[in-house]
Amino acid sequence: MTPSTTDTQSPLDLATFGLLGLGTMGAGIAQVLAASGRTVIALEKDEARLAAGVAAVTAALDGGIRRGKVTEDEKAEILSRIRGTTAVGDLADVDAVLETVSEDLEVKTSLLTEVAAVVADDTPILTNTSALSVTAIAAALPHPERCAGLHFFNPAPAMRTVEVIHALQSDERLIDRLEALVDSLADKIAVRVKDRPGFLVNALLLPYLNDVIQELDDGLATAEDIDVALKLGLGYRSGPLEMLDMIGLDVHLNATEAAYAATLDSRYAAPPLLRQMVAAGHLGAKSGSGFRTGPSQTS
Amino acid sequence: MNQERKTVAVLGAGTMGSGIATVMARAGHSTLLFDVNEANLQRGIGTVHGFFDNSVKKGKLTTDQAEAAKAALHGTTDLTELSRSDVVVEAVFEDLALKKDLFGQLDDIVPESTLFHTNTSTLSVTGIASGSRIPGRVVGTHYCNPAPLMKLVEVADGRHTADWAHKATIEFLHSLGKTSVVTQDRPGFIVNRFLIPWENSCILALEAGLGTKESIDAAVLGALGHPMGPFRLLDIVGMDIHQQVAMRLYEQLRDPRFFPPPMVDRMVAAGDLGRKTGRGFYEYDDTRLFGS
Repeated sequence: MTPSTTDTQSPLDLATFGLLGLGTMGAGIAQVLAASGRTVIALEKDEARLAAGVAAVTAALDGGIRRGKVTEDEKAEILSRIRGTTAVGDLADVDAVLETVSEDLEVKTSLLTEVAAVVADDTPILTNTSALSVTAIAAALPHPERCAGLHFFNPAPAMRTVEVIHALQSDERLIDRLEALVDSLADKIAVRVKDRPGFLVNALLLPYLNDVIQELDDGLATAEDIDVALKLGLGYRSGPLEMLDMIGLDVHLNATEAAYAATLDSRYAAPPLLRQMVAAGHLGAKSGSGFRTGPSQTS
Repeated sequence: MNQERKTVAVLGAGTMGSGIATVMARAGHSTLLFDVNEANLQRGIGTVHGFFDNSVKKGKLTTDQAEAAKAALHGTTDLTELSRSDVVVEAVFEDLALKKDLFGQLDDIVPESTLFHTNTSTLSVTGIASGSRIPGRVVGTHYCNPAPLMKLVEVADGRHTADWAHKATIEFLHSLGKTSVVTQDRPGFIVNRFLIPWENSCILALEAGLGTKESIDAAVLGALGHPMGPFRLLDIVGMDIHQQVAMRLYEQLRDPRFFPPPMVDRMVAAGDLGRKTGRGFYEYDDTRLFGS
């Protein structure tokens, strides 16, 4: 977890990251990057959000200590490599920028335009988007060949897969560099994919989750029995409905709507029950109610 | 071990039938394995005995327990010998007429209180139940392969299944140490209902160049917490089996997500059925499916 400081260790590529957003994904990614020995400068709108993000990383590391996977020293080192700022100008010297802000093209491109104005012209600008086109984000920025997608799954420290997304404009050498970056992270697997709606994993996962929600609404079985059947029958670590509660039903709705808008493929069309759950504020674990969480449980 | 020792008949001594017979004999039920073909029957009994011998080697059963389980199992090719069955579990070929005919014949052999379970994976429980003059006693109980190792059983009532039969089925499965889930009598129940479109979509993604078989397997493994990627799983299931199950579900649902993609037909035509032929999506030196 902690990089060696011996002479044989080659210096880390992309050693300092400017990380935009320290929410759920941002905090998880900050932990992963810092654990690889990299410095993370996290940009947030205000101090309260920064404090919440650092608290989330701290809590995750404390969990790791309880499970015997992280030492107190490692926790201290990781936290010491994560710095917060609310000033875009503090990112001027970073080696790469990775954004994890809300899934809104306008929000992402306007912030990245500000950041692009302070970093070098060849500083890689990466997006952790799961729903938007990396090509569209790159197109809004100067020198789009330095843009690519670097898509972590939630929770970032636990999920091994990282999709490296090749936008139409991406420089091939940048993609190679990002694959090497992912290889340098503890226990992560780089999967190189094209910039298609949903990339690879979500292109497969979103229709499956929608299908489950529709069958639940159609009374195939209870939410619990659907989860139990797929876990015991197929050995899945989590059932689809508990997975949806963890992802956040609003997050899933946003992702599947974006994929539907980009493809007009009916498998991505949001099932009515999903919209109703989100309208009612039943967003999953984070709201205390969802398909398998709390009083709104549909079974 | 089960408190109440029942007499359980299992119809069909193939993979699923011998697996289910193993479950019954291990739970202490007097188990009668039926097959029309003597050679199949002996092979099935051999499979059950082999499983118990292995359990002893692995320390999961004592020699005495294994001998008791073997002693609880008998074979027959004569349907009339099933007359004292409390529960009949049919696990014959996925042929509606055959299954209906067996239940109809058993109506004349067993008491009216005998439960009829069907292990169908792709046919309608209601359709199979219509073969019995007492469709109320017929319940769908879909075991997973390998039945002695997999805890899940999907329970589906037909249109005319009686309450007593449903309740007795749930209790019986519980006594076997199985976890039952209750689902509707719809094609694919829960597991195949979601697995088949999932596997098809992964095959289509491969054909469309979203990734390689290795990258798709790795991505699914690392992002979704599945025990293996879709192509490793298909190689174990067998492409011929996937094709058959997908086609049967497609024929009933007319939903294109269930239709086996052309790559499946090509692989079957080429004899690349998966591990059992040494080559599917991947190549294998060892064609055994679950170890020895």
